Amino acid sequence: MESAKSVMEPIAWILQMLTGLIMILLVTLHFYVTHMTSHEALRYAEVISRVTQPEFRAMYAVLLLVVSFHAFNGLRAILLDTTAGMESRKTVNTLITLGFLLAFVYGLYLLFSI
Amino acid sequence: MVRFKIRRYDGEKSYWQSFEVPAKKGMTVLEALYYIKENYESSLAFRASCRMGICGSCAMKINDRPRLACETQVLTLGDTVKVEPLDNFKVIKDLITEFDGFFEKHKAVKPYLIRKDDNYAEPKELLQTPEELNEYYIFTLCIKCGACYSVCPAAATLDEYLGPAAMTAAYRFCADSRDEGQKERYEIASSPNGVWRCHLAMECSEVCPKNVEPAKAVQLLRRKTAFSILKSLLGW
Amino acid sequence: MGVSGWFKFKGRSLFSWAFTFQRLTGVVLLIYLLAHLTYLSSLLDKTGATYESMIAITVSRQFLVFDILLVLCGVFHGVNGFRIILHEFGIAYEYRKPLLVIFTVIAVVVWLYASYVMYSLVGG
Repeated sequence: MESAKSVMEPIAWILQMLTGLIMILLVTLHFYVTHMTSHEALRYAEVISRVTQPEFRAMYAVLLLVVSFHAFNGLRAILLDTTAGMESRKTVNTLITLGFLLAFVYGLYLLFSI
Repeated sequence: MVRFKIRRYDGEKSYWQSFEVPAKKGMTVLEALYYIKENYESSLAFRASCRMGICGSCAMKINDRPRLACETQVLTLGDTVKVEPLDNFKVIKDLITEFDGFFEKHKAVKPYLIRKDDNYAEPKELLQTPEELNEYYIFTLCIKCGACYSVCPAAATLDEYLGPAAMTAAYRFCADSRDEGQKERYEIASSPNGVWRCHLAMECSEVCPKNVEPAKAVQLLRRKTAFSILKSLLGW
Repeated sequence: MGVSGWFKFKGRSLFSWAFTFQRLTGVVLLIYLLAHLTYLSSLLDKTGATYESMIAITVSRQFLVFDILLVLCGVFHGVNGFRIILHEFGIAYEYRKPLLVIFTVIAVVVWLYASYVMYSLVGG
């Protein structure tokens, strides 16, 4: 049985690719809906009515999850590419995971409070 | 007359020195360096051996691009030729760089056939079809010149990064039908300094003087490593 | 050599440019993500006043240039990222040069179109 450490890297690699692919779709959709239809789409009332629809809420939750993972894992890759980052990789991995969870949880909190 | 601007290093300081070389058609940069050494500056230090692109000793940055000096024609380079040691390697003197680390990394991936029935007393003939050879042939052509490592952005910032050449050697053996040591090499390749630090800059494949395609080898090794790990995780 | 090794372009191919921009745009987008999440906190004010005042600044002609730059970052990162994913799955590695050119052109075209739509929406 592989240790958790050695299994993390291939899983992170595959997830980085998967989240990238999912985002190509969802980010395009998100950007289209907010910036390419009309300016009314960004009025407060419009935003609230859109976000409270269950389909949109679910879509935003998924988008939040994949974006947070991809962004923080990407930063992790950049940091681990340096000797300094590699030597302190336990710290880097912990901080990155914290950052990812914070972003995701905070975003979820916003999504369900408005 | 072609002006050669060479970045020299005497152990303490780095400085440029220029020489005028009478270039003839067919003259290589290596011949020009020998000319400079014999006629102008006998202390100029560089590595060279076979003069025919097979030993990998004379790789250096020529006009900002890593090439084999023995395979680069002077008259294709313009009026001024800039010669520098390879990037990402510690310079010992002038154009000679430290290669111990590079070779250590190569050794670390176990670049030899690993078989359970290894028996020197009774050697066995191992058969291989042309198709099986084609799977890895191109990766056998590496001459360990270090050009790929010198342009790799991961190698620039991570001293212990295995590098394209070592991982190409690892894949060359993993893909060899006669080999049985894949698991061992996958473990080495998936160390923190291994395949996961490659992000497909692909410059290595662009500068390889033997067209070995190290970027492709690293991708193939990464896939095989990832699936091997995931398979054992799921108990398949 | 250090991080300056990520920014060497002399004597390198287009592939090095693509790599560096992928990294740069990634970092820019990460920073934008954090800014975006913070900015969205304004929605918590149920009267809508905080949000509308932020929108008044950020969705305007003056901010359009930042929006266009951000879209460039996002489109390039996504399109180039797709090319990288293709190669990481072992697809079309032999055609990597034409693919790089094609995908860069696609990124620029998509960016120009998105910029044009945003420009016309602010009454350009």
